[in-house]
Amino acid sequence: MTYFKSNASAFVAVLVAGTMLASPTIAQTLKMWGPENIANPETAELWNEIKAGFEANNPGVTVEFMPPTGTISNGAVQAAIQSDAGPDVVWTNSGIGRMTVVVDAGLVQPLTEEYKSGWSEKIFPWLDAQLKGNFNGEIYEVPDGLDALGIWYHKDMFAKNGWTFPDTYQGFLDLMQKIEESGMQPLVAAPNNTGSAGHLFGLVLQVTAGSKVMGEVVSGNLPWTDKRVVAGFTAFRNLVERGFIKPEMASLNFDAGTRLFLSERAAMFVGGPWFIALARGADYPLGNLGYTTMPSDLPGESIPTGGIGWSYMIPTSSSQPELAREWIDYLLSDEVMKLRAEHPTSSAIYPRELTDVTPATPVMLDIFKAASDGVGYNPSVYVPGSTIDTYYQVIQGLISGQVTPEDGAAQIEATMHKAQ
Amino acid sequence: MTKGPENTLARQNSRGADPARRLLSAEKPGEDGFFAAIGFLLPALLVYGAFTLFPIFRTVWLSFTDSGGYNTAASFVGLDNYTALATDPIAWRALWQTVIWLVLHVVLAGGFGLVLALMIGRLRNAQVLFRAGFFLPHLVSLGVVGIIWANIYDPYFGLLNTSLDKLGLGFLQQGWLSDPTLVLFSVNLASSWQGFGLYMLLFLAGLQNIDNSLYDAADVDGATEWQKLWYVTLPGLRDVMTFVMSLALINGLKGFATVFVMTNGGPFYASELITTYIYRLAFQAQQHGKAAVLCIVLSAIAVAITVAFNRWRASGDA
Repeated sequence: MTYFKSNASAFVAVLVAGTMLASPTIAQTLKMWGPENIANPETAELWNEIKAGFEANNPGVTVEFMPPTGTISNGAVQAAIQSDAGPDVVWTNSGIGRMTVVVDAGLVQPLTEEYKSGWSEKIFPWLDAQLKGNFNGEIYEVPDGLDALGIWYHKDMFAKNGWTFPDTYQGFLDLMQKIEESGMQPLVAAPNNTGSAGHLFGLVLQVTAGSKVMGEVVSGNLPWTDKRVVAGFTAFRNLVERGFIKPEMASLNFDAGTRLFLSERAAMFVGGPWFIALARGADYPLGNLGYTTMPSDLPGESIPTGGIGWSYMIPTSSSQPELAREWIDYLLSDEVMKLRAEHPTSSAIYPRELTDVTPATPVMLDIFKAASDGVGYNPSVYVPGSTIDTYYQVIQGLISGQVTPEDGAAQIEATMHKAQ
Repeated sequence: MTKGPENTLARQNSRGADPARRLLSAEKPGEDGFFAAIGFLLPALLVYGAFTLFPIFRTVWLSFTDSGGYNTAASFVGLDNYTALATDPIAWRALWQTVIWLVLHVVLAGGFGLVLALMIGRLRNAQVLFRAGFFLPHLVSLGVVGIIWANIYDPYFGLLNTSLDKLGLGFLQQGWLSDPTLVLFSVNLASSWQGFGLYMLLFLAGLQNIDNSLYDAADVDGATEWQKLWYVTLPGLRDVMTFVMSLALINGLKGFATVFVMTNGGPFYASELITTYIYRLAFQAQQHGKAAVLCIVLSAIAVAITVAFNRWRASGDA
């Protein structure tokens, strides 16, 4: 019996060793939360090409894309990570506010060592410095797309009506008055879910108070109740009172707001370069899309707001963090960046300067030009995570007339103070 | 031949009369099925413990900590979360709006279910058709219902406002989901639309149980249709009504999906419910301790409603 057992064990050992020799690579599946529009055939084609390149360099590895069901702002990313069946890499909307939520909850891994080993050279130096200042020197994200929020408009509509963008904020109000009188909705606000109304509100705050003041406010060095900032709240409320933003817009979500603009029932929409992808998805003629900055009475303040819009992160629940790091390293390569930047679906400002790249969509050049003098602060991505919800709710309150500019500013300041 | 009924009775008496003697007797627990019973109960107990008792105790524990979720160390903070929420105006607003939501759900879903059941209850051939048709919305998930109704309510492209405009009733157009005074009603209507079909079926079942001879007697007495409804039908539906009401109250307390999809609690918290605020705290702000407090509050309300309702029902039966 003992003889039989030892022979059987030897047979099994030989079988296992033989199997291991026959297949030297271990099958691994790397799951990434994203890309956002993977259902779009053009997007899928691009990302399948990127994935194929990585899989060819890493035999036995399969990359799977998880179509995102939401963002950090609505809790979908956190729920996915905490489910333990979540992704190895998350690619989602970021910015310090959203990052604080997942970092404080211990949901993402520090990547500081990777930055020391070379990732710092793969992003703009100012971006690297900004990331190092966020979490006491620890870095948890790899920026992928930078935002530059400005005003999108219909070129043909403006040309037909003889509307042009002025240099002053008062001129901008006059322009909206003309648009309103023509029966067209001047501006879209869509505050029901994340982002959209925050973009518009942040832009109004910046052109009223100035980017320097807003930088101090979002970093907590100046209170939201500062009279220059409250003047921005008042300017926004004034847009509602003059009918440029309708109170019923308080219920619009991002999709409904986009639909209102792309159906040419509204003249202007505030968004970043990513809006091109949405317009393309809706079969809107991209040549008709115009992009400009919001006029300001303050010198040099007619610039986009922005910040880090999209980042890669590695969840603490990832079962193969090393492979996840290799994947991100591959995404930061010149080969992948250039491929993405020149693809028709490209609608991002990448985290480092790319030379010899011609964007497939000409309006991207207008965005690069608008952002060439720098971008201001989009509060949606800079305020702490625990403040951001109050920030969005106050915008809804201003549009629906439930809160005054002074009270709204005080409420945001109260949560900001608590967060600090 | 010694195991007759008398013998069994004697054994039972001896157990009841003298536990000490039973302990000293040679009879083992397994002989009367003790271990078999444990064996049968164990799987259910394990499932109950893992999926009901453990989460309850865990939630209570979380409510006394500053847990930020997942990988963070949670420290004991005593009653801090309770006192913080006691002074949180949004929590109070969400609580009050949850009460309004409950009442609206009972009235709209329960009431509509009753009215429809009364309307189609007497139909012979077409009842199946109407019954199936009215029950269909109940088969649609609340998330999908939310998306459908959010589009119906869209102020610019929605079916409701555009229909009003086409009918020359443009003056009735509203921001159904943006007006703070309307939003809770609008969302509740969508939620009730999904729920009324089930209540209608329950009422129909109740109507079939009412003795037809009571209607015959009412006819003989010359009762009007209204009197028959008031004195025969509604009293005959009393048991079903109490059941539907408790079901509607519990379903109302669970209201979440339609609000989350249609308004996300807005505008400016005007449709925030306890459930949506729990989600906001737990999964958006990662304040699991505070979210746990609200879970306990919600459970306490559910228990209080159930107990109060059962007592009220019992007093009526007496």
